[in-house]
Amino acid sequence: MIRYVVRRLLVAIPTLLAVYTVVFLFVRVAPGDPAVAALGDYASAEAVQALRERMGLNVSLWVQYGRTLLGYLRGDLGHSLITGVSIGEQVAVVLPHTLQLTFAGVLIGALLGIPIGILTAIRRNRLPDYIGRTLALVGLSIPAFYLGILLILAFAVNLRWFPVMGAGPFTEPWANLRHLALPAATLGIIMTSFVSRMTRSSLLNVLREDYVRTGRAKGLRERAVVYLHALRNALIPVVSVLGVQTAVLVGDSVMTEIVFSRPGLGRLMVQAMMQRDYIALQGLIVIYGAFVVAVNLITDLSYGFVDPRVRYE
Amino acid sequence: MRRYLTFVVVGMLVASCAVGQAQVLKIAFDAADLRTLDPHYAAATMDRAVVDMVFNGLVRYKPGDITVFEPDLAESWEMSADGLVWTFYLRSGVRVHPFAGAPDGYELTSEDVVFSLTKAADANRSAYSGEYVGMEFEAAGPYAVRITLDRALPASLFLPKVADYAGGFIIPKRAYEALADRFATNPVGTGPFRFARYVPTQKVELVRHDQYFRGVPRLAGVEVWYMPDVTARLSALSTGEIDIIEGVREQAWVDVVKRIPNLAVDVFGPGETEVLHLNMTKDPISSLLVRQAIAYTIDRSEVVTAIGADVAEPLCGVVPPYLAGGLTCEEVAAVGLLYKQDLALARALLAAAGYPTGFEISANITERASYRKPFENIQAQLARVGIVLKITVVDHSSFHTLIRQDVNPLVHYEAWRPSADAFLTRFYHSDSIVVTGAKPDTNFSHSKSVDVLIEMARYELDPARQAAMWKQAQLTLLHEVASYPLYVLKFVFARSATVNYGYELKSTLALYPQINELTTK
Repeated sequence: MIRYVVRRLLVAIPTLLAVYTVVFLFVRVAPGDPAVAALGDYASAEAVQALRERMGLNVSLWVQYGRTLLGYLRGDLGHSLITGVSIGEQVAVVLPHTLQLTFAGVLIGALLGIPIGILTAIRRNRLPDYIGRTLALVGLSIPAFYLGILLILAFAVNLRWFPVMGAGPFTEPWANLRHLALPAATLGIIMTSFVSRMTRSSLLNVLREDYVRTGRAKGLRERAVVYLHALRNALIPVVSVLGVQTAVLVGDSVMTEIVFSRPGLGRLMVQAMMQRDYIALQGLIVIYGAFVVAVNLITDLSYGFVDPRVRYE
Repeated sequence: MRRYLTFVVVGMLVASCAVGQAQVLKIAFDAADLRTLDPHYAAATMDRAVVDMVFNGLVRYKPGDITVFEPDLAESWEMSADGLVWTFYLRSGVRVHPFAGAPDGYELTSEDVVFSLTKAADANRSAYSGEYVGMEFEAAGPYAVRITLDRALPASLFLPKVADYAGGFIIPKRAYEALADRFATNPVGTGPFRFARYVPTQKVELVRHDQYFRGVPRLAGVEVWYMPDVTARLSALSTGEIDIIEGVREQAWVDVVKRIPNLAVDVFGPGETEVLHLNMTKDPISSLLVRQAIAYTIDRSEVVTAIGADVAEPLCGVVPPYLAGGLTCEEVAAVGLLYKQDLALARALLAAAGYPTGFEISANITERASYRKPFENIQAQLARVGIVLKITVVDHSSFHTLIRQDVNPLVHYEAWRPSADAFLTRFYHSDSIVVTGAKPDTNFSHSKSVDVLIEMARYELDPARQAAMWKQAQLTLLHEVASYPLYVLKFVFARSATVNYGYELKSTLALYPQINELTTK
């Protein structure tokens, strides 16, 4: 298994290099001048030109490409073209909030989605199934930013149970959790919809298998058939969905961070995009790429825990 | 009885703590994050707000009223008889905020002022260096600063350069040198509030400067929040988590917020001019008859109505009337250059120009609503005479690049400039023509006809004659239809009704309702 992990990590290097190269080229193809974006339209032409030179945008693309890559190899993500702040330092501040929000969403999705999926599968075409499927459809259809606004209006503005904005400091767990509740619920509801539908369809497939019929024929209780025999096999595609959706959720968290005014990786990325902050955008997308690679690896490794037949070679 | 007294005392203590906590005012801007807090680079609204609270100028615009200058770091000033030398006499005892190299701060002197103005004039350390060309700065004692000009400027053009705006903000030398690259996110000044903390993509925290020269600020501090979603801002204002928010510059939004109890809406100037620039080098706009036809097609009041009467004021000259040299609609009407809508005349002009059934043109516009909505309104109006305007919506940064590459036959532009000279020079002097000008800037119309008037007015010391020249330049521009002024879009903020700015808010160059030592909540 260790050899498998090492091999996957080595494969991640060319993947991240490809991500960096594509982003490097694409952000420079898009029109827009970071010097004008930084200084505004009242700045003098001399100042814009001076800043452009200081930003290093007048040197060849190869030099820019190489400089940034060397920085990455040293663990230096560079400095924002606009604020001059170290991107590594900014990421260190906001990444914990993004990770916390993402994993809270995944956790809610798993804790609610799997039981709902089981219930709708074993009560197929009965009232709980209809209710579960309808709610899942609603959850899948509703955009994160709209759901977030609805939750704010209901639980923050009207009921005043939770704060509207910001992220509580990690040093104050209660305040932190109160700030986390609504954004996590937003992502969690969407995740629950995905997971419950996948659990339901996967479990229904497994419940048609011969060994399930055999289990029932030999007199096992229905609960034992479902939970001990069928569910474990049905969970493999669910784990895949959890993995894929975790990566997707980081993308969804952009709008959630904006609606709830939380610090986060997504907001940094949007800001970098709007201002043509090439250095920041490259660094942030490489980090996002690394995150996706890590989530995929963890997902693959978790198959072995769900299904002992899976071998890593 | 003793128990009762204990209860009362504890209650009072708790209440006083609560009052103390309530003294931190929170203001939220339509922004994802800050850009820079170096005042000589700060251009965006959310950054200007912070530097306004942290820094001072030699003089300042009176809070809430940009038509009046009053002393700030300088308690008095004088101009030499020939108008070439200005001397500013500084207040003594002005304390710089504490910073790593000076935990108790230090007293600001002329050395700091000379350093700061020299930095503002340096294109490598300031975005506004163009404002200080031909100026020399020197200390004339610890509390006096002498500024020598190569050509005399009237006070109306000189004082804005040393006021609390852009390059006029004074940066303490030792703090700037000690913090170096970190100054842009850790500013140190002399203003009523000092920088405390920056949380990326969330907020900047300021605390009051106890040694502020105008007295201890009434607020304990200010938090500047970055909240790009307007619904989130309004929700936070409704629940009391935020005290002031940047609003939406549209009538519908203003009307909605006005109906919410315990909230107030501030609509204030100077606002930004919204002008349609007509590119006189691109066919068929290059024809004067076509430009006149466009002018006679557009109904300014229709655009203003679409944006809203509270937030948009009709603009008939390219310099707004509240600036010296600005034109009122009455003055424009008096000389017959109002181009009141006349579709029959517009069609006749198009026919005379060789386009009896109209023509088709394409133009880019930014996704920002304040640009896009009026442009779409103009698109609909032009269609009435057969002019088909095809619009490509691009992101804001791309828009600015594309229009500076001279690709648009029509450019809708939103801008604020501090003087008639800045408006006319940046938008209509031939040096400023995009791409081909000597100093390419924002002359999208390629106008060349008012260079002499702009240059003569710049150095005219008699205010009346200067204003007359600026007005004449605008009438020339209207005559050739280099642009079509639409309206002035005012700034819109909403606040809790308990917030008291401490002054009457009519207009401010800080672009937000200024928070100063008198503000309370």
